[in-house]
Amino acid sequence: MNLGTRGALTFRLGDYSFAVRVEEAGGILDAERLAQLPGVCDPVAGVAAFRGEMVPVVDLACYLGIEAPVSQGPRYALVLTRGPDRFALLIPEIPKLIAGRDLREAPPTDTDSELGDLFESTLENDQDQFHCLNYWRIFETIIPPAGSAGRQTPMERGN
Amino acid sequence: MAAGKDYREDDAPPGQSSPPPVVLVTFAAAVCAGIAGSLASGVMAWIAVGAVAMGGAYFASRTAAPRKMVAELGRARRLLLLVERGGSSEAKVPPDFPEDWAQVYEKVNRLAFEAKTNPSAGAQIEQLKKQVELAASLVRDGKDPLVEAPELRAGPLLPLLEGVKGSSSLPVVSHMSLGEEEELIGAGGDGLPPDWPKPSTEGTAPAVGTAAGTEAGPEVKKGLRALIREIESLRTTLAGSPNDQAPSGGEDPALRTPAQLVDAVVLTAADGIEDLAAGLMRANELASVAERVTNRATLLALNAALEATRSGSEAFAAIAEETRRLAEFAREATDTISRLSSEIEYKVGETITAIHATSNDAKTALAEMSGSSAPVPSNRSARVQVVRLLDRSRELLKSLGSSEAMVGDSEPDSADPISIRSSPKPRNSAQDNVENAPEPAEKSPVEGVLLIEGLKPGAHFES
Repeated sequence: MNLGTRGALTFRLGDYSFAVRVEEAGGILDAERLAQLPGVCDPVAGVAAFRGEMVPVVDLACYLGIEAPVSQGPRYALVLTRGPDRFALLIPEIPKLIAGRDLREAPPTDTDSELGDLFESTLENDQDQFHCLNYWRIFETIIPPAGSAGRQTPMERGN
Repeated sequence: MAAGKDYREDDAPPGQSSPPPVVLVTFAAAVCAGIAGSLASGVMAWIAVGAVAMGGAYFASRTAAPRKMVAELGRARRLLLLVERGGSSEAKVPPDFPEDWAQVYEKVNRLAFEAKTNPSAGAQIEQLKKQVELAASLVRDGKDPLVEAPELRAGPLLPLLEGVKGSSSLPVVSHMSLGEEEELIGAGGDGLPPDWPKPSTEGTAPAVGTAAGTEAGPEVKKGLRALIREIESLRTTLAGSPNDQAPSGGEDPALRTPAQLVDAVVLTAADGIEDLAAGLMRANELASVAERVTNRATLLALNAALEATRSGSEAFAAIAEETRRLAEFAREATDTISRLSSEIEYKVGETITAIHATSNDAKTALAEMSGSSAPVPSNRSARVQVVRLLDRSRELLKSLGSSEAMVGDSEPDSADPISIRSSPKPRNSAQDNVENAPEPAEKSPVEGVLLIEGLKPGAHFES
């Protein structure tokens, strides 16, 4: 089965497993020390340096409302790229790289329906099922592109 | 020694040079001043006369002033030595002693000698010795004994202290060497005179013990023999005990209670475990650093694999695979270190708990066994003390026997376990008797039996 990907980076967040296609992934960062930004909404955990550029880091668990156990251990940032744009997802563990030959398409589940328009597809291997999301939509709802009306930040709502 | 030199100058025998008298020195200074005045005139004459007169007066004061004081000091020191030696029945007043000093000499000699036979005289001589020691300590400190200690004004020491007054270099007569003693009593190099009392073998307090030896000698000897038998019995009992361990060093463990010994063991173990825990903490820190390095290696491997997957390059994929293996190896090593560290921590905690529990159990058991927490000396320490006491008793018994030989009772007791040899010298030979007597046995009779019969522990000496 041609999934249109060479592989996927998978990680767990609470009770859910997610996958990021390698074509979208730019790299993995150690997010132990993120630079905090003032006046930003809650899902933005800060910014990190990736290959000489500043990348905003979004806390996916916070955005999706997933209650993940608070871990005092290291955190990582999975950088996603789309052309010149980059942003990162804050995840609590090092993702696993699963080759495309080991993945297959799976039918949507109830969880996928809860994700709404963020849901893109479901992948699975012999052990687990992984939800593939439209991560860029998440980023655009937080930081809308210039000239478009996106999701209001808390500061904007306060004003 | 400066004091010895003062005495030698004072008691120089006839024929030797002695310092010129004060009158002669003063007269010579006046004659020189007159000659200087007749030769010079005016102010120079007055200056010359004054200078010569002052020089003469200074010379006279340096040569003749301490003569009388030094003579009295020598007599006082000789009397102190007489008190220290315990007196002698044949001691005579030295010819250079004036009448008042002769009376003191006779009184002190009588007291010191009677102290050997009369307990009351012994008490008096002891009191006198205390006064002498007090006075000597005050003089040594540069103080006036007659001012600092009013009780010294009454008693036979008054003329002595008046003679010693002003001198702060009184030597300790009991620590005097033999040559110095001969020099002090004026015997030169010919040795001590026969009538001079010999020093006691004990060094101090010769009167009381010797009195017991002459008056109550048989009773004391009998008691001492019984004491020796008792001590040997105790020593035999102690020698048979199997619990004989050498002390481990440091403090004397014989003086500690078993509970304190248990505490010491626990403290030693706690110190070692504390060091171990400190090392463990350091190892944990290093393990966390290694884990961070491993995480970085894993990230590197993952990024390499990600790039290789995206690019589809097999070469890149091979490098990424090697990097991943390296990261896995580092991860396994780090996990092993962390697991071992956790296990060691757990075992250290268990050991600490076990030590505390064992120490409490040991304390409880020891308290039940002994019934008290008083210090229990070890068998080894007790045996050492018994051997010392035994040797001391034997020496005392020998001294008693020697004293009896001195007064004519030189019959050796055949039943005595320690034979006392009679000396061919009838008088003043107590020290020789002691030297001729057999050496005290290094080993006790019980140890001797064990040595003789060799590999037969528990055998008895039948002969």
